[in-house]
This record gives sequence, structure tokens and C-alpha cells, in this order.
Amino acid sequence: MSLTRADWIVLICLLAVQPWLYTHFWNGHSGVADHAVITALGQDTQELSLRHDQQINISGPLGDSLLEIQGGRLRFRDSPCHGKQCIHSGWLSHAGDFAACLPNRVSVTLVGAATRYDAVNY
Amino acid sequence: MQLTPTAEDHRIAWLAALAIVIHIAESALPSPLPGIKPGLANVVTVAVLVRYGWRTAAWVALLRVLVGSLLLGTFLSPTFILSAGGALSSIIMLGLARRLPGRGLGPIGYSALAAQAHMAGQFGLAYALFIPHIALLNLLPILMSAALLFGVLSGIIAATMLKGLATATPGSNAQLLH
Amino acid sequence: MKSGFLYFFFLISLTACSREEPLHHDQFLAFGTLIEISIYGLDDAAAQQASTAIEQDFQRMDRDWHAWHSSALTVLNTKLAQRQYISVDAALLDLIRRARELSLASDNLFDPALGQLFALWGFQRDEPAGPPPPPQKIQALLTALPIMANLHVTADSVQSDNPNLQLDFGAIAKGYAAQLAIEHLQRLGVHNAIVAAAGDLHVLGTHGTRPWHIGIRHPRAPGIIASVDLKSGESISTSGDYERYFSHQGKRYHHLLDPRTGYPAQGTAAVTVIANDGATADAAATALFIAGTHDWPRIAHAMSVDKVLLIDQHGTAHLSPAMAARLHFEIEPAPKRVVTAIP
Repeated sequence: MSLTRADWIVLICLLAVQPWLYTHFWNGHSGVADHAVITALGQDTQELSLRHDQQINISGPLGDSLLEIQGGRLRFRDSPCHGKQCIHSGWLSHAGDFAACLPNRVSVTLVGAATRYDAVNY
Repeated sequence: MQLTPTAEDHRIAWLAALAIVIHIAESALPSPLPGIKPGLANVVTVAVLVRYGWRTAAWVALLRVLVGSLLLGTFLSPTFILSAGGALSSIIMLGLARRLPGRGLGPIGYSALAAQAHMAGQFGLAYALFIPHIALLNLLPILMSAALLFGVLSGIIAATMLKGLATATPGSNAQLLH
Repeated sequence: MKSGFLYFFFLISLTACSREEPLHHDQFLAFGTLIEISIYGLDDAAAQQASTAIEQDFQRMDRDWHAWHSSALTVLNTKLAQRQYISVDAALLDLIRRARELSLASDNLFDPALGQLFALWGFQRDEPAGPPPPPQKIQALLTALPIMANLHVTADSVQSDNPNLQLDFGAIAKGYAAQLAIEHLQRLGVHNAIVAAAGDLHVLGTHGTRPWHIGIRHPRAPGIIASVDLKSGESISTSGDYERYFSHQGKRYHHLLDPRTGYPAQGTAAVTVIANDGATADAAATALFIAGTHDWPRIAHAMSVDKVLLIDQHGTAHLSPAMAARLHFEIEPAPKRVVTAIP
């Protein structure tokens, strides 16, 4: 398989772009999450504390997605989508963890105080 | 006037069918974000591009998305929109790449570019239409790197496929069409 | 082809890069509040070990220096009334010395010898409760006001001239403890950490490539009023009228008592001080709160602090120039600001 000169140039350029993508878009998150931010199409963003075990229904175009909070973690327990990828994402537990049900337009991100301030003086 | 399909027409139809099969098979793969696929069907798009030109490749790609979604039952769904967006982006990228001066790109170069455009297009649509959530951006670099990898692999497969096609039709022009 | 595979492996290795930022976070209860330890740049096991060591330090200090639960301090307080020299362990003695220095510098506005007044007001309880004490009792204490100058300190013992002198280190202990914790972490090989005890916080190093970013709580609303990037070794303390208080007949009585009046200091909502020493920051935040909107620059100068934020009852922010240069207000609209140089 021979690569033309143009092939080489394209590959080298594309490789060179990769590190930039990481420095620009990748914010490694870790740390304690204390609440979840739930975004659903056409609804106000909801914030839920992770401290209390609970289940919550988020309605979307396909029906209700069921979210479960347990032991400071969150997961999609049920969803009306076809592929159930959201459920396969499993438990979210760290600040920055994210799962979504694209077909039902529901997404969840975990947030902790650590994401904005390292600590609060109060 | 009778329309008689030529041997080339048969071959293109066969390639289109192959693309549809790959598209359907790919829908069974898990992905980090629902609906976003590595775009393995681009193997066929690139092979058709190199051998039969851009217009035929565009036709095969769009046919693949349309028929594939109809067969999967995902026509006009978010999955379809992402597929179509990805296919459109890669086709447009390939069109631009054809205009490069000199000997131009080979299947691997085309494939790498098409894969990046495919992924960028899908991601852009997912971000704009479905999940305008800042956490999604964390996935972009990983998706693009994976796409580049798959693109190079697809290119190798496409090049192999082209060699096979060339030997299967002796006398036909196996050189890059411009 | 070979180069194709090289790229292949290069890309695989890129995607295999670890996403984890090495930040370890731990929480526990001590000094009646939530203590939070953040350690950056250590593997999880080492960070957990260090964190546990600090937790033990805090529990020990809380136990030994508790102003009303039975402790080494309460025992000392009982004996102080006898006006004899009482031997004290090194750790408590060091706290007493630091408190004495800072108290004298603050013109006694920070007065840890006033344990009796705090007890009288009901603040020496896990949950402060009214009613406010009768004015005669307050007056009685003020006539022979116990101050740290009444306490004599030798190499290993202390003696009090004033029978009403009772030590309560509530206004300095958390800042002092946070500092000791940071020093301990350093000895354990930690280079980047935060030790936060609610209103008293000390930092070491940085959060990777950026400084530790600290939010200051708004005295009248949930959320943050201002933020600051702290340099390694800096301590920040906030004293506010919202921290410990009780309500009686519709009026709120907070725990920052003015030794000159015997009543909660008026006019200030909160004070934040940044200093290189934890005990100083903590004691100064209390002293400057009591000093109030007009007198704080003088006391700040006397205590050698130059980074002060005072928010008064009207919501105006009074700042020293050094603080104004460091602080970033996070509320819209930004509060009215008055910058006053420290003499």
C-alpha cells in the first residue's frame, strides 16, 4: 500500500491537530460531586442534591426517563429510547461525569463545589 | 430507448449494497454517545470516490444513509440526522480534497479526512441540536482521535478493496481518476 | 504500511492516556464544623494516609482545647481561678502564647480570656440559645475585664491574676489548627493541599498549574460574594454574624462579642482577612469585625495584617489596597466599595 506525498502531509497535519483538541476541549474532572444538573429539552435546568436517595422522572418527547440517585451516585434506571445507551452508561459518581438519552433529549452532569471553587470560606 | 445496466453499474450497485450492510452492522456497535458512529461505511465511499469519481461516491453515500435508515426503522430520527450529517460532512470534505494539486491523495489520505469530517459533523449536530451541554465537549478529542484511527484503517481496507477491484476488471483504468 | 501501524499505535496510546486529575478530597467533623482536606498530586493511597493523619490531629486538638466539653482546657480553666502557676503541655502552651500576642496587638478586641462572657451569653453550648443575659451580669464582668495581659506565661506554666479569667480559643483555634495541619502535611511530603475548616482555610502549593481558587461566602445570601487566588502558605479567615447566633424576641444576637460593651458588635456583617499565618488571620478577622467600619485600619496595622475585606450592615465593602488588588467580586452588581489604606 503506497501513500502519496499528499497522504503523508494530510496524516501529519491531522496528527498535529490532535493534541490541540485535548488541550482545548478536555477538562479532566474528578472530585466529589454533590449535585446533579439535569437538562431536558424545553424545560428549565434542574439541580438535584445527591445526598438523598431518590428517583425522578424526566419527561421528553419519547416519554419519561427514570433517573435514580443512590449513595451519592446517579444513573439512568429506565428510558423509553430504543438503544438504552443511557442505561448502559451506568453509575455517575464524580464531578464532571455525564450521561445522556439523546433520543429523549435528557442529559445529566454531576457537579461538585470543587468544579468552580477549590474551597469556600464561610 | 432501453436502459441497459453496464458491468460498471452492477459493480456500483454492489458497492452501494455493501455500504448499506456495513451501515446496518455498525448500528449494532456501542458508542460513547448514542447515534455517533465511527463511520466504517466510509470504506465504500472512499473506494467509489477513487475509482468512479466524486459524484458517484456522493450518490452511494446518501443512498446508504437513506436506505440504511429505512431498513433500520430510524428514518428521520436523531440517529438518521446524525448519520446524514456525518455523511454530508465527509462527502463535502472529499469534494474539497479532490481539488488538491499534484498527484493528490490516495485512499488512506481521503479516508482519514473523511473520517474526521464525519465525526466533526456528527458531533456538531449532536451538540447543536440535541445536547447543548458543555460536558459533551470533553468527549470531542477522544471521538476525533478514534475517528482518525478508524479513518486510517478504513483507508487501508479501501486500498485493499480497490486492488481487488482492479484485478477483477483487467484493462480498466486502475489509476486515480481526476 | 509500517508507518501506518506506527500511527495506529501512537493514536491508541493517546486515547489510553489517563484522564484522572490527582485530586484527593476528604471530609470529617471536628471543632463543631465540617473540615475538608484537599490534596493534589499524590496517589490516592498516600493522600488518604496523609488525610487520616490530619483528621487525627484535628480530633486531638478539638478534644484538648474544647471550651465547654470536658478537656485539658476546661481543667486548666478550673485551676486558673486558684491564682497559682499551673503546668500546661507544650501544644496548649503554644496556643496560649500565640493567642496572647495577637490579643495584645488587637487592643484586646480579640479577647480569648473572656470565656465567662461567652458562657454568659450561651455561646458555650453546642446550640447557642437565648435569652440574652441580664445587663447587671454583663456589667459585673466588664468592671474587672479579664484580658490576656492578666495571664502570665512561663516556659511550661501559666498563672492568672484575674479570678474571672477563663480561656476560650473559639476565635483562633480553627485557624491555628489549619496551619498546624498544613505544616504536618508538608512533613508528610505533601506539596499541594487545602485544609479548610469552614471560616478558616490554609493552602499549600497549587492546584496543578493554577493557584487554589477560593470563594468567599456572601454574608446575606446563599452563594459567593467574592473569590481570590491564594498563594502557597496563605491563610484566609472569615468571621460573620451569620455563623453562630440565636434569636430572641425577634432580635438576632451573634457570637462576636465586643469586650468594650459586652454585647454583640454592631455595624459589621462579615470580615475576611488573608495572612501568612493561620492564627493571625483567624484572630484578626474577629478583632476587625469588632473594630468596625471606622477603626479597622488601625487594628489591622497593629496586628500586621494588610489584606482585609469588611462588609458592613449596608452591604458596602471596605477593602485595604492589598486586598482590592487580589479580590474579585462575583456578584452583579458589584457592591459599593471603599478602599482605605492601612496606616
